[in-house]
Amino acid sequence: MNNAKMWLVVKPTVGVPLFLGAVAVGSFAVHVAVLSNTTWVADFLSGASAASGSAALQTEQAILPATADAATSLPMYLEAQADGTQSMRVILPDGRTATLVVDDLTQAALR
Amino acid sequence: MSNDPDKVWPTGLTLKEAEEVHSYLIDGTRVFGAIALLAHVLVAVSTPWLG
Repeated sequence: MNNAKMWLVVKPTVGVPLFLGAVAVGSFAVHVAVLSNTTWVADFLSGASAASGSAALQTEQAILPATADAATSLPMYLEAQADGTQSMRVILPDGRTATLVVDDLTQAALR
Repeated sequence: MSNDPDKVWPTGLTLKEAEEVHSYLIDGTRVFGAIALLAHVLVAVSTPWLG
């Protein structure tokens, strides 16, 4: 009870709401700052995978610049299967989709 | 009541009452901290937070 004597000076009806309010405002401000200064929160909330988040981003960065010349301003999406690398779906800028089948060379060599 | 010799002004609480108020505040802070710690661990595990 180190600081209990503060309540002899500060009325609890003033000090307790002030303390709780300070905690609430402080934690809210921290979370707003995180939301407004990072991109991964919005990415995660809009469906990006948590575990493969950075890997997927690296793949997109590696693949997209080479193919994005034809449609510089239009986005193109590449989705990998969550369970493995057997196939990937490409969503082209005009909305068409294509499926890429990835041969598992390691498995084929073992057979 | 107002002539209680243990009362301390300006709040008019006794030291025992002040310690009681303080104990509730400390307990509440500990519970809040424990829940916040658990929440942060769950977020660290399930999101890309902290890489």
